Amino acid sequence: MRIYIIGFIILALLGSVGYVLKLQRDNTILKENAVKLESAISEQKTLIENQKKDFEEILDANKKMNELVSVLKKDLEDLDKRFNKKNRDVGKLAIQKTESIERITNGASALATRCIEIASGSPLTEAEKNATKKSEINSECSSIANPNYIPY
Amino acid sequence: MLILTIFLTSCSGVKQLSIFKEEVPRAKLNLEKPTPLELENLRWIIITSANAEEVFKKLEEQGIDPVLWGLTDKDFELLAKNFARIRNQLKITNDLLDKYKEYYEVEEE
Repeated sequence: MRIYIIGFIILALLGSVGYVLKLQRDNTILKENAVKLESAISEQKTLIENQKKDFEEILDANKKMNELVSVLKKDLEDLDKRFNKKNRDVGKLAIQKTESIERITNGASALATRCIEIASGSPLTEAEKNATKKSEINSECSSIANPNYIPY
Repeated sequence: MLILTIFLTSCSGVKQLSIFKEEVPRAKLNLEKPTPLELENLRWIIITSANAEEVFKKLEEQGIDPVLWGLTDKDFELLAKNFARIRNQLKITNDLLDKYKEYYEVEEE
């Protein structure tokens, strides 16, 4: 009978030790899991911040493109005005002042040619960048050729 | 009874959490932007019934064939507007390309 009791006590002790060891292992794993979860939360926060930043960039890019489209549309309207302002007839003017209109046409043509170069990605010259007066600007496309010019 | 309890609790132990991550960045396209245009200037000659003879005479004197491609004043206006439209489209396309490059090809910090 005594042997059974001692055996039972030994088994109980062994079981308890095993259980405590298991609890310690579980605790270690739980701690590791907590660290991983914290890291995952931090990564998610960074991801959300990046998404927010991307969204702001997209909005800004859209805004700038819309502004560009409006400005270019205005350039086109200005060109139309130059031909038809106050019922102006360029044909009749060319008959009356042939040499003068030829000179103006060639000047405007050279400016328009430069506008196409700029539109295709040609860098602006210092003179174009610094132009602020009407006499200095490219009147065919000041919106893209002269960033510092404010129409007056 | 105690031994049985220990065995049973061991069966439902805490499992280690695994988070799988596989991030393979896409290779960059890195295409060069097209070279900006360098255009030649045109010379416009206005010809009217009054100066036609003089214009052709001058051309011959300059050794240029006395022949001209003509536009009416209305067609000249349309040509100017067409070029302005092409220019605007070129500018928009070029800026769009810049925006895409800025957005997708930004240098890693």
